[in-house]
Amino acid sequence: MSEPAHPVTKSATQLNDEMLSSLRTPTWKWYGLALFLGAVVAWGMAAFSYQVYTGMSVTGLDRPVMWGVYIVNFVFWIGLSHSGTMVSAILRLSQANWRRPILRAAETMTVFCVAVGGLFPLIHLGRNWVFFYLIPYPNQRGLWPNFRSALLWDATAILTYIIGSSLFLYLGMLPDLAVARDRARGWRLTLYTVLAMGWRGTAREWVIFQRASTLMAALIIPVAVSVHSIVAWDFAVTVVPGWHSTIFPPYFVIGAIHSGIAAVITLMIIIRKAFHLEEYLTPLHFDNMGKLQLVIALLWSYAYFVEVQTTWYAHEPIEWEVFGFMSHTYTFILLLMLFGNAILPIMALCFRRLRRSIPVMLAIAVLINVGMFIERFLIIVPSLSHKNMPFVWGTYRPSWVELSVTAGAFAGFALMYTLFAKTFPMVAVTDVREHESQRKLVPLGRTRLPSLAGKE
Amino acid sequence: MEKLTSPYRWGMVVDLDRCTGCGACVVACQAENNVAICGKKEIAEGRDMHWLRIERFWVGEYPNVRARFLPVLCQHCHDAPCEPVCPVYASYHNPEGLNGQVYNRCVGTRYCGNNCPYAVRVFNFYGHEWPKPLDNQLSPDITVRPRGVMEKCTFCIQRIRRAREDAGAEGRQIRDGEVQPACAQTCPAEALVFGNLADPASRVARLARSPRRFRLLEHLGTHPSVYYLKGGGREHV
Amino acid sequence: MKRRTFLQLGTMTAASAWLAGCQSANEKLIPYLVPPDEGVTPGRAEYYASSCRFCPAGCGILVRVSEGRAKKVEGNPSHPVNRGKLCARGQAILQELYHPDRVQQPLKRSGTRGSGQFTPISWTEALNLLVGHLAPLQREKQSDLLAFMTPLLSGTLAELVTAFMDSFGSPHHLAFDLLAPDWLRVALQRSFGQPILPWYDIAEARYLLSFGADFVEHHLSPVQYGFAFGRMRQGRDTVRGHFTYVGARMSLTGASADRWMPARTGSEGKLALGMARLILAESLYDAGALKANGLTAGKLLAQLDDYDLPRVAALTGLAQETIAEVAREFATTHPALAMAGESVAFQTNGQEAVSAVQLLNVLVGSLNRPGGVYPAGDLLSVPPKKAFTELSPLVERMRDGRIQVALVQGDPVHTIPPATGFQEALAKVPFVVSFSSLMDDTALEADLILPDHTALESWGDVVPLAGPRESVTGLMQPVVTPLLDTRPFPEVLMATAHELGGKMAEAFPYRSYPEMLKDEMKKQIGLAKGMDFEAVWVELLRQGGLFETPKGERGYRWSGGTSLPKPGEPKFAGDEKGFPLHLQVYPSTAFYDGRGAPLPWLQQLPDPVTTVVWGSWVEINPKTATELGIGFGDLVEVVSPLGSLRLPAVIYPGIRPDVVAIPLGQGHRGGGRYAKGRGANPLALVAAKIDGAESQPVWNATRVRVTRISEKGELVTAGNPQGSYRSELIEI
Ligand SMILES: Nc1nc2c(c(=O)[nH]1)N[C@H]1C(S)=C(S)[C@@H](COP(=O)(O)OP(=O)(O)OC[C@H]3O[C@@H](n4cnc5c(=O)[nH]c(N)nc54)[C@H](O)[C@@H]3O)O[C@H]1N2
Ligand SMILES: Nc1nc2c(c(=O)[nH]1)N[C@H]1C(S)=C(S)[C@@H](COP(=O)(O)OP(=O)(O)OC[C@H]3O[C@@H](n4cnc5c(=O)[nH]c(N)nc54)[C@H](O)[C@@H]3O)O[C@H]1N2
Ligand code: SF4
Ligand code: SF4
Ligand code: SF4
Ligand code: SF4
Ligand code: SF4
Repeated sequence: MSEPAHPVTKSATQLNDEMLSSLRTPTWKWYGLALFLGAVVAWGMAAFSYQVYTGMSVTGLDRPVMWGVYIVNFVFWIGLSHSGTMVSAILRLSQANWRRPILRAAETMTVFCVAVGGLFPLIHLGRNWVFFYLIPYPNQRGLWPNFRSALLWDATAILTYIIGSSLFLYLGMLPDLAVARDRARGWRLTLYTVLAMGWRGTAREWVIFQRASTLMAALIIPVAVSVHSIVAWDFAVTVVPGWHSTIFPPYFVIGAIHSGIAAVITLMIIIRKAFHLEEYLTPLHFDNMGKLQLVIALLWSYAYFVEVQTTWYAHEPIEWEVFGFMSHTYTFILLLMLFGNAILPIMALCFRRLRRSIPVMLAIAVLINVGMFIERFLIIVPSLSHKNMPFVWGTYRPSWVELSVTAGAFAGFALMYTLFAKTFPMVAVTDVREHESQRKLVPLGRTRLPSLAGKE
Repeated sequence: MEKLTSPYRWGMVVDLDRCTGCGACVVACQAENNVAICGKKEIAEGRDMHWLRIERFWVGEYPNVRARFLPVLCQHCHDAPCEPVCPVYASYHNPEGLNGQVYNRCVGTRYCGNNCPYAVRVFNFYGHEWPKPLDNQLSPDITVRPRGVMEKCTFCIQRIRRAREDAGAEGRQIRDGEVQPACAQTCPAEALVFGNLADPASRVARLARSPRRFRLLEHLGTHPSVYYLKGGGREHV
Repeated sequence: MKRRTFLQLGTMTAASAWLAGCQSANEKLIPYLVPPDEGVTPGRAEYYASSCRFCPAGCGILVRVSEGRAKKVEGNPSHPVNRGKLCARGQAILQELYHPDRVQQPLKRSGTRGSGQFTPISWTEALNLLVGHLAPLQREKQSDLLAFMTPLLSGTLAELVTAFMDSFGSPHHLAFDLLAPDWLRVALQRSFGQPILPWYDIAEARYLLSFGADFVEHHLSPVQYGFAFGRMRQGRDTVRGHFTYVGARMSLTGASADRWMPARTGSEGKLALGMARLILAESLYDAGALKANGLTAGKLLAQLDDYDLPRVAALTGLAQETIAEVAREFATTHPALAMAGESVAFQTNGQEAVSAVQLLNVLVGSLNRPGGVYPAGDLLSVPPKKAFTELSPLVERMRDGRIQVALVQGDPVHTIPPATGFQEALAKVPFVVSFSSLMDDTALEADLILPDHTALESWGDVVPLAGPRESVTGLMQPVVTPLLDTRPFPEVLMATAHELGGKMAEAFPYRSYPEMLKDEMKKQIGLAKGMDFEAVWVELLRQGGLFETPKGERGYRWSGGTSLPKPGEPKFAGDEKGFPLHLQVYPSTAFYDGRGAPLPWLQQLPDPVTTVVWGSWVEINPKTATELGIGFGDLVEVVSPLGSLRLPAVIYPGIRPDVVAIPLGQGHRGGGRYAKGRGANPLALVAAKIDGAESQPVWNATRVRVTRISEKGELVTAGNPQGSYRSELIEI
C-alpha cells in the first residue's frame, strides 16, 4: 500500500507562507506562555541566588552524598542534547527526506540543551564566584587548571560541542534567514540582513552550502559521541562503587540518544500542533522515528542488563551492597525507569499502528525522558550513599532550592525555545522547498519513501 | 607510587590493640586545627566537620558481642583518588608524601569528596562562626576555612613546618619524634604514632613492619601513609 | 619560657586579681614595628605549665599561648600522672576559659530563686553583702548556721576551706563528689586496714580482671590508666596483657576487653568469691602470699563453701565453664590484677563486693608487686572518708532551717540526686552563695554569685587523686590575664576572712593566695639553708609541680583476718513486677559528672560507644527493645519509683537484657547556651537510700520500666546505625 507523504506541490510563496507562519505576530496565548515560563525561570534564579548567598547548606547534600540533583540535571540535559544534532546529522547523511521539517527544531534543541546543561556544573560549585579558576587563563600566580580532572575534559568537550552545534544550526538556517529577510520589515529586517550575510541563493552559494552542511553533519557526530563518553568518565574514572565501570561511556551515549530521540518525537508532536504542520509531519515520520527509538530502546536495555549482570556475577561486596541499597530504597522509581525506558517502548513500538498513533508516541516519548532522568539519579545518588566506609553511609533528598533550580532549568529551556520560534524560521523552509522541487516516491521495501533525486 | 624528592615521607601507625576509643584525639584535632564547632542540626544533616573520627563497629550478638574502634583520618594516600579529580589542583601531593589542600584555591566541586574512598574530606556547607570570645582560641598557624571549600586532616602540617624551621635553623634534619600531630600527642594509650617512614629506623617505620599491619581498603591501590595494626587476641569473639 | 616572662605575668596576674580590673591581654595591641617583649611575640608561641583539675586525677598540662591568648592545651610530658597525654575533657578546658556565657562579674539575685534574674554589682558591694550575712552569725554565737559545700578539694584549697570553717566555728563543711572514691577508701580500710587509695600497676600486669572499674573513661585516673593499658597490650615485645571485664553493661573500658562477662547486677561480689573459692579449691593460689597476709587456705575455703560454682553461676547468670576458665586464667597468669569500680560499688552490697575483689589480689599474691596493686603515693590528701554519710545530716539541718548561709562551690544542684532532698533543702536556706564562673544549675539557685577564675586563669596546687606511688603536687599558674571581672575563690575566702577580722583574720596570715601557695611549697620541699627559693619556685612552675619525690614505701596487707567479705543479697528500689529493668547510671566519657556539658567540643564529641552527639539517651538490649516494640532513636519514657524521664533509645548490644543504662552529665537547667535544657539527668530517677544500706551510696540500685512514646526521639549519632554492623565490608 502507499500513501502521499506530502500534499500536492504548492507554489513557493504558499510554502513560504505556511512554513514561516511561526514568524507571524505573537498571539496572546504566546505571551501568556512566555510570561508563565519567565516567571518559573525567575523563581529558579531566585532560588539559586539564595543558595549563593546562604551557601550549599540549603541543598540536601551532605557527606557522603556530595553530588545530587544538580549533577543529575547536568547529565540529563547533556544527554538530551544528543537529539538534535545526532538525529539531524544522521538523517542528513542518510538523506532521509522526511527529516526536513523537523531539522531546525532538533538542531535548536541541541543548542539549548547544552546551554542549560552546561550551567549546572557552575550552579553546583561551593564557591560559584570563583568559577573562573577552572578556566585556563594566564595569571600572575602561574596557576593553571588540572587537565587530569574529568571536570576539565567536560568543560572542553561541552565548549566544543556548543560551538559546533551552534554553527551547525546557523549554517542550516542561512538560506531561510535570507528568505525571512526578503519578507521582513523593521528590526527583523536588520536582524536577518546581518545574519543572512548577504545570501543570494546563487548556484555557487548552494554548492558550497551543500558541501559545508554535509561536512558539519559528518563532524558533529564524533563530537556528540565524545561529549557523552566524557560525561560518563566523570563517574567511570572514579573509585566510587557503582561508578567505576567500563561500560559507562557507551552506555551513557546510548542513553543520551535514547532520551534525545524521545525528545525529538515530543518536539515533532508539539511543533506539528503549534504550527499546524500536519501536512508536513505525517504518521509516516512518526513511524520512522518509532523504529529508530525501538532500536535504541533495545540497545539501552542490553547495556543496562550487562551492567547489572556483571555486578551481580562478580558480587564484589561493596558494589553489591550499593546495588542492594539502590533497589531496596528506590524500588518504585527503579521499576518506573525500567518500564519507561525498556518495557513500554519495546512492547509498544513493535506495532506499526502504535508507532503511527500520535498520542501513543507522545506518551512513550515523555515516559522515556522521565525514565532517563530517574536513571541519572539512580546512577549518582545510591552509589554515594553507600560508599566504601559503612560508618559514614548516608542518604540524600533534594531540597526545595535544588528542585526550584531544576524547574527553572526546564522552564528556561522552554522559554528560549518559545522566543526562538518567534524570531527564526522554525521549519527549514529552503530545505523543504528544495525537496518539494525534486520530490518523487521511490520504492523502499514494502513502503515507498519520498527521496531526493540525488544530483548525479 | 610516585617518586618523592625529600628525605621525609610522613606516615602514621594506628595500633587498634591499644586504641580504647576514648576520643581524646578527636578533640585534640579540633582544638589544634580550628575545626568548626558543629551543632546538633548540622551533624544530623551529615555535615560534621571533624577531621578525625572514631568509627565504632558492633560485631556478634549478645552475650558474645564486642565493639571495635577504628580511628579514621586522612590516609595521605600516595595514589590519592582525591587529587587527580580536582580541577584546580587544590588537592595536591607534596614531596613529603602529604596530601595537601589549598583552601584559597578550592572552588567547591566536591568531586574529591566523592572520590575519597575513606570519606574523610569534609565540606564547609555552612560558613562557621566562633561566638566571642571562643574565637580567641583559634590558632594563628592555620586559616579558618570559608564557606564552600573542602578541608580535611593535614597531618598537622603547621607542626611539621615549625619543626622544619627549627631543624633548619640548626642545620639538621627533623629528629624522630620531634613532630607530633595533636592527635598522636594526646593519645593516652599511645595508639597513634607519627613519623618519617623514609627513615627505616624511625619508630613509625619499625611499627609499620609489624606482622599485624594492614591498610584500609588496601585493594583500591591508594597506597595510604597510614598503617593500622590489627587488634591482637580478642579470642572470645 | 623565660623566667622574667613568667615573673612578669605572674605578678601581673596576682595584681590584677586584686585590682579586679576588667582589662585583658586580648584587647592589648601588639606593636608591629617595635619588636614586642617576650611573652607576646607574634608568630611565636609560649608554653606555660599548669594542671588540669577538671577531674580529681589532676593531670599536668602545658598551655600554648601566643599573642596573649591561650591556644591549645597539651599534656605535660614530665608529669608522672599523665606523661604528656590528656583525655578529651582536658583538651577542652580552653573552652571553659573562653566560654561565651561566663559570669562577667559579681551578681546579686533580683528575681525569684531559679528565675536567673540577677543584677551586676561591684566586688566591694558583693563582699560586703557576704560579710553582712556572716558577721551576725559569728556575733550571735550561731556560727554553726554556716554550711560550706565543695567538691573533693586537695592541697592548699582544702586547707583554706578547712581553716575558714574552723576559724569561723562551723563543722558543716561537706566535700561531696558524686563519683568521689570514698567507697573505695572504705573498702580498702576494711580489707587492708588503711584508707589509702590504690595504684594499680596495669602496665606490667599480664592478666587484668576489672569488676566494673571503668578506668578508660573516668575511674580514679583515666589518662594514667589509659597510658598503662596501652603498655599492657603492646608495650612489651613478647607479652600481650589479657583483659577480662565483668559488668552488666559493656562500658567503653569493657569494649577493650578480650572477654566480657555480663554478670547480673549486684552479683559481682559473689562472682569474685566464687572465683576465690575455685582458686583455693584447686590450690592455684600463691601460698607465700597467703602466709604473708596471715591467711590459711583451709580456713578461707571453709567460709566460702556457699560460693560453689553451680550456685555462683546461677546467681550471676554466667556459664560455669566461663567462670571456672576465667578464675583459672587469673590465678595462673602472673602477675594478675583485679580492680573494682563504681558500678559494683554503688550497690547495696557494694562495700563487701569491692572488698571481695581485693581478696582476689591477695590470693594470687598481687599486693605490692609489679603488675599488682600498691598504695598510691598521695599522703597529702585524705579527704573526708564518708562525705556520703555526712550528706543527709546536712540536708536535715538545711531543711529545718538550721543553716542560714550556704557557701557552695561547684554544681551540687546538678550532681546530687534529688532523692536525697538536697535541692529542696537548699531552697530553704535563706542565703546561698555560689562561686561558679558559669551560670550553672547551682548559681541559678543562689542569692549571690562570686564568680571564680577559670582553671587557666588561676593559681593553685593539685594533688592528683590515686596518682603514682610517688607523692606528686601539680601546680597551677595563670596562663593568660583574667578575661573578666572575676576573682579567685581562695582570694575571696581570704578577703572575707580579713573583713570578718579577729580570729579569722589571724587564720589567714597571707596577703595573697599565690603567697600562701609559695609558702606551702617551701614547707613541702623543706628547703636547705641558703638556697634561693625564688629560683626553685620558678623552676617548679616551669616544670609544672613537685614530681621527683621518693616512692612511697608503704604496702597493703590483708587485715580482715579470716572474716571474709560477705556481699549480701542486693536490694533494689522498686519491685520487680512494676519495674522489671535495672537502671545503671554511668559517668559520661565526655562530661564526667556533668561538668563537661557546657563545652561545645565535648557536646560535639560523639560518645565513643553509642556515637551519640549533643544529647542523652537510654541504652537497651536489642532483645528487650524488640519485646517492648522500641526502635533505634525512638522516644521512650523511663519510669522509676522516684520519677520519670523521656529520652531517645539506643539499641545497645553490649548490655544485659534486664538492664538499661543512662549516662550522667546532661539535663542542665543552666550551664550556658550549649548545655542548657539539653538531654536529661538520670539522677532524677535514682534512689538515695535503701533500707539496710544507709551508709552506702546506691546510685546503681534502682529498678525502672521503659515504655515507647513515639518515633521522635531526635537522636543524632555520628555513625550510621546500619553501617555500624558492617565491619566486614572494610575487613577489620
Ligand atoms: N591580615 C593580613 N593581611 C595581609 C597580610 C597578612 O599577613 N595578614 N599580608 C599582606 C601581604 S604581604 C600580601 S602579599 C597580601 C596578599 O593578599 P592576597 O593577595 O589577598 O593573598 P591571598 O589572600 O592569599 O589570596 C587572594 C585571593 O586569591 C584567590 N585565588 C586563589 N587562586 C586564584 C587564581 O587562580 N586566580 C585568582 N584570580 N585568584 C585566586 C584566593 O581565593 C584569595 O581570595 O596580603 C597583605 N595583607
Ligand atoms: N601559607 C602561606 N604562606 C605564605 C603566604 C600565604 O598566603 N600563605 N604568603 C606569602 C607572602 S605573599 C609573604 S609576603 C610571606 C610573608 O611571610 P613573612 O615574611 O614570614 O611575614 P610574617 O610571617 O607575617 O612576619 C614574619 C615575622 O616578622 C615578625 N615581625 C613583626 N613585626 C616585626 C618587626 O617590627 N621587626 C621584626 N624583626 N620582626 C617583626 C612577626 O612576628 C613574624 O614572626 O609569606 C609567604 N608565605
Ligand atoms: S586518643 Fe588514642 S586511644 Fe583514644 S581514641 Fe584516639 S586513638 Fe584511640
Ligand atoms: S584519604 Fe582521601 S583525602 Fe586523604 S589522601 Fe586519600 S583520598 Fe585523599
Ligand atoms: S572541592 Fe575543592 S578540592 Fe575538592 S575537587 Fe573541588 S575544588 Fe578540588
Ligand atoms: S594529624 Fe593533625 S590534622 Fe590529622 S587528624 Fe591528627 S590532629 Fe587532626
Ligand atoms: S583525666 Fe581528669 S585531670 Fe586528667 S586531663 Fe582528663 S579531666 Fe583533666
